[in-house]
Amino acid sequence: MSSKATFMSFLVIGLLITLTLIAAPVTYAITLSFYSLDSFVGDPEWVGLGNYAKVLASSEFWNALKNGLIYAFATIFLQVVLGIGMALVLNQVFFGRNVVRGLSILPYLLPTVVMVLVFKWMVDGSIGVITAGVEWLGLPPIYWFESPLAAMLSVIMVSVWLWTPFVTTAFLAAMQTVPGSLYEAAKVDGTNAVQRFFHITLPMLKPVLTVIILLRAVWMFNKFDVIWLLTGGGPVGSTEHLAILAYTTAFSQFDIGAGAAIATISFLILSLAVFIYFFFFPLDAE
Amino acid sequence: MAQVRLSQVRKMYGATMAVHGVDLVIEDGELVVFLGPSGCGKSTTLRMIAGLEAISSGSVEIGTRDVTKLEPKDRNIAMVFQNYALYPHKTIRENLAFGLRMRKMSAPEINQRVNSAAEMLGLTPLLGRKPGQLSGGQMQRVALGRALVREPEVFLLDEPLSNLDAKLRVKMREEIARLQKKVGTSMVYVTHDQVEAMTLADRIVIMQSGHVQQVGAPLEVYDRPANLFVAGFIGSPEMNLIDGRAEGGKFRFNDLSLSLPQGVRADGTPLTFGIRPEHITIGDGPNSQIFRVGVVEQLGAQTLCVGDVGGCQVRVMMDRTDTVSSGTEMTVSFPPQRIHIFAAETGERLGDHTGSEEAEPPRTSKRALETSEEETR
Ligand SMILES: Nc1ncnc2c1ncn2[C@@H]1O[C@H](COP(=O)(O)OP(=O)(O)O)[C@@H](O)[C@H]1O
Ligand SMILES: [Mg+2]
Repeated sequence: MSSKATFMSFLVIGLLITLTLIAAPVTYAITLSFYSLDSFVGDPEWVGLGNYAKVLASSEFWNALKNGLIYAFATIFLQVVLGIGMALVLNQVFFGRNVVRGLSILPYLLPTVVMVLVFKWMVDGSIGVITAGVEWLGLPPIYWFESPLAAMLSVIMVSVWLWTPFVTTAFLAAMQTVPGSLYEAAKVDGTNAVQRFFHITLPMLKPVLTVIILLRAVWMFNKFDVIWLLTGGGPVGSTEHLAILAYTTAFSQFDIGAGAAIATISFLILSLAVFIYFFFFPLDAE
Repeated sequence: MAQVRLSQVRKMYGATMAVHGVDLVIEDGELVVFLGPSGCGKSTTLRMIAGLEAISSGSVEIGTRDVTKLEPKDRNIAMVFQNYALYPHKTIRENLAFGLRMRKMSAPEINQRVNSAAEMLGLTPLLGRKPGQLSGGQMQRVALGRALVREPEVFLLDEPLSNLDAKLRVKMREEIARLQKKVGTSMVYVTHDQVEAMTLADRIVIMQSGHVQQVGAPLEVYDRPANLFVAGFIGSPEMNLIDGRAEGGKFRFNDLSLSLPQGVRADGTPLTFGIRPEHITIGDGPNSQIFRVGVVEQLGAQTLCVGDVGGCQVRVMMDRTDTVSSGTEMTVSFPPQRIHIFAAETGERLGDHTGSEEAEPPRTSKRALETSEEETR
């Protein structure tokens, strides 16, 4: 009886915390999207779906959605491909493997703001190591944050650099669970290393990969800090995605209702995407 | 189909030697069983034949090809693993076909081979399933089928039945024997189970600590164990082994004095005397002694008595009797032709007597006898 009481009390505490920290703000934010207000102290005015109509009619919204999709797809694709590649390399037996494995996760462990600053130093016009490298190669200088294309490439590059280790580590861990005899059977069956990857490793790790891609997709679609710190969404909105647009609309232009509407739409798009994803890649297949 | 020839095959793991210079010829169509306790190097040797384990020194030839440095896929072998190692995400049909597809065989030929192997193993209704939907015995059959469709030069099986229950093990053992005879392909079969080895093998290779202890037909190793290890390992219940001395043509230990078989001249040297529990006879005869029964184990058709002869513990296997009990005394005798004598120091067998009543010519395998019979017809 007492263990049940303990269990219940933990459950209630957990539920209360969840309600206070997640459910309440989300409900509040969604509620805000139906009102017009320019500060949190003034009297909100009920506008129904007015904010949504306004947002959906603006070109900034569609531009941000497009940028967000480009950013998310590019970073997920590169993270997964590079992450698996690195996992395959790190799974080989070589001298100092454990040290390399440890080092490879370093970018993931450091605070994002540190990594962003490191990148900014590396591409600094006068002292950057990458700038020096580009110069040494005899190439024209690259203006990392000044042209729309370069800015987008920069945020993608830094994001991939930061979060590929997550994919590598997850994939590497999962690879340890594949029985070695499967690879041996495949060797006897006449496969080469590439065929073994596609016929054994990939199918065996499909469930893990499904979850990795989903997690990365959700994170990348909502990723705020890297872009905010690197470009602030610029130049001229070329790296602005929905999270940044929602933030600037609410807190720079003080149109809190419209900002909340953008956040809500973003949330709905993501939910729909996750739903479709699970429809095509169910976790309990087989 | 081919002969497999191992010459001085060694395996080092770092500084420790797991397999010490194995020399062995597996004849075309022969079923050779590697038998020995866990960790004796059976799997390692098998895996060196397969190419899954690098050969530290020595060479392996299959047919006329030296395969020592070849990849497993280039050795034309097929292997059955202890845990079956079926591809879990592929159907049974795909599992069977995979090795053929990787070798770019034409689709009709693949289908034909897969279907006939499935037919032979009773797998036809299961071809559309995944391994996870099969029982242990069925998975075992698929693993065999996957080897069979390849039509390799050699089958290599590593403890293929050890994950099955006892009943199924006997059934699959018979099935493997039948299949091997039918396709006539050489087979190397690894097991730690002497019953499997005795029933399946044309020849048994008995290993211990990375050394080959004896190679011979099942009855040959039973009748003439080459050393103490083989004597103790083959046969159940274990052979009685008594340490003593040779004196005046007799084996002596405590109050025991037994006549040595002909041909054993080892005066004064320490000897080990061996006789199987089932070869000790009840009643008067050569070397008769008084046997005092200690423990009685009823096995059904037979009765195993553990007791004392001249101060030595001895096991005696007799036809079923309900009248013996602890304390019973009876006369037993040790027929000289059933006695094994080993040098205590080296463990080597001494003397050239056959160790069996049947006048079987030594060093002749079952298969050799079968083929010679066929040839004379
Ligand atoms: N990868 C390895 N590294 C070091 N020692 C090994 C390795 N594989 C096997 N051994 C050792 O080699 C010996 C033979 O092993 P194995 O061939 O698997 O025995 P078994 O007869 O039971 O099949 C054992 O003592 C084992 O500990
Ligand atoms: Mg083994």
